[in-house]
Amino acid sequence: MLRASAVCEEAGVPSSSLVSQGFLKLAAASSIGLGLPSMPVALVPGHPGAQSPTMLRHNILEVTTAEVIKNLMQASGTGQTVSEPQAQDIVFQGGFDAVNQLFLEKEWSDGLPIVPPTRAKVEAFLRYTDRKPDEVLGVLLPDNRAATIWSIAVNGVMAGCRPEYMPILVALVQAMADPAYGVEHSGNTPGGETLIILNGPIVQQLGFNYRENVLRDGFQPNTSVGRFWRLYLRNVAGFLLHKNDKATFGNTWRVVAAENEEVLRAIGWSPTSVEMGFQASDNTVTIARYTGGNLIASVSGSTPEEIMPIIADAVIRQHSWQITFTVGGAYGTLRPLILLSPILAEAIAQGGWSKQAVKQYLFEHVRIPARKFEYMLRVWAEKPIWNLTEEYQAGRIPKVFCESDDPDRLVPLVTCVDDFMIAVTGDPLRTNAYIFAHNGRLGYPVAASIDLPANWNF
Amino acid sequence: MQNQSNDGHYEVLWPRSPMQVQGKSLAKRLDTLNGKIIVQLWDYLFKGDQVFDALEEGLKVKFPGVTFIHWSVFGNTHGADERQILADLPKRLKELKADAVISGMGC
Repeated sequence: MLRASAVCEEAGVPSSSLVSQGFLKLAAASSIGLGLPSMPVALVPGHPGAQSPTMLRHNILEVTTAEVIKNLMQASGTGQTVSEPQAQDIVFQGGFDAVNQLFLEKEWSDGLPIVPPTRAKVEAFLRYTDRKPDEVLGVLLPDNRAATIWSIAVNGVMAGCRPEYMPILVALVQAMADPAYGVEHSGNTPGGETLIILNGPIVQQLGFNYRENVLRDGFQPNTSVGRFWRLYLRNVAGFLLHKNDKATFGNTWRVVAAENEEVLRAIGWSPTSVEMGFQASDNTVTIARYTGGNLIASVSGSTPEEIMPIIADAVIRQHSWQITFTVGGAYGTLRPLILLSPILAEAIAQGGWSKQAVKQYLFEHVRIPARKFEYMLRVWAEKPIWNLTEEYQAGRIPKVFCESDDPDRLVPLVTCVDDFMIAVTGDPLRTNAYIFAHNGRLGYPVAASIDLPANWNF
Repeated sequence: MQNQSNDGHYEVLWPRSPMQVQGKSLAKRLDTLNGKIIVQLWDYLFKGDQVFDALEEGLKVKFPGVTFIHWSVFGNTHGADERQILADLPKRLKELKADAVISGMGC
């Protein structure tokens, strides 16, 4: 909304942005990154979602209208350049406690102590990449800052990473800067958090956990790389809490989930990296944002036919408003992720099912009545115009959503078979699964290759 | 007597990175809204359709000569086509002879 206003202002057309009370701080912070710190906003009192039509109309007529007029006729302002340090400046000298106090005060820390980023430590990280320190991998919104190799190393040090994790950190920022991922949405209200899936020989070489406790903090590589992701979002993309980050609840950063490729090889299933377009021998990161998830404990059954109905039912129960990423807010961008413990994957594979067969089953069985699908769209979007038949007739969704006029016909939660993602990890000998509810185009799955330096020796 | 700190001494680097955006000026404001064309841009969220209806009503009371281009002309500014819609926006505004824009909903 503000990005649209910024385009208009730059085109010479005055704008007024409608902002509810709770978003005024975010609007102010985002405007700086857009180069228009005085971007005019008109207050919408309270939140429209909690107001009756009468109350909303009253608020717009009594408050918002006057502010819109003022925005379009009186606002003025010139973007001022913010005075900041240079990229490689030393910003402070002092002891451990003083450094950490400063980083907290400057909002450069996530609330935990950071490892002081000294030049010697940063240079140790830079020895694990063949790229130049000032190379820019992209420019990250909302702050519009350059994603440089140097800044990756600094934040990697702070997060408690080891220098040899640097190739992974570089790949992560490449993925973060991929427009298809949509980093600019990382401060939205659903507060989804990114899950990083790691594939390739580097999992073993650097000792990533992919067994019990795979989503638990406590293993240095998994934990510190996960922390790096959030620090980089904060310091370079600019997602500061109560400012550009408006998660209603939010999640803590997730540790890296490495896949169990030994089991995948044994059962003949492709790792996530291959499904993202790489070779099985490649080292890769795959990222996507998830609004939450749930464990499906003790999935009973020794055959796919017994196991899969339980998984399909669990996928349905993890999704509600997210279907707006299938139809409406976006089209075909909902990508549910299912983590299968190795023993579950093995039992399914022993029944002769490929990974593709599992996804096909999910597409055919993860379905809800059309009436409910349309209801959830209307309620969530607060815009009562969604109709699956009209969407199909307009060519925006496939026929599977409109096989009949029966409002109780079953329609899928996603657009196609390959929208489902499946990874194998976790306790090898426990029959559990984990379903992640995806944040759609506001954190769409993307992957990047991990480029090792010439001197790699692990 | 222990009076010596084990707190160390660190020369620490800046963890951020240079901003890549230059400060810009706001567009010139309007003397009146009478006779002007105002474009509505919407992200299809949070009852914006009702908000724009009420705004039209309120603005027409003070400026009877104002006209609006409905939000449906542009599509969802926060949907899957966001980048393309924003890239096309300057050209579309010119084609439509737009004088001003109201963009919602930041909620």
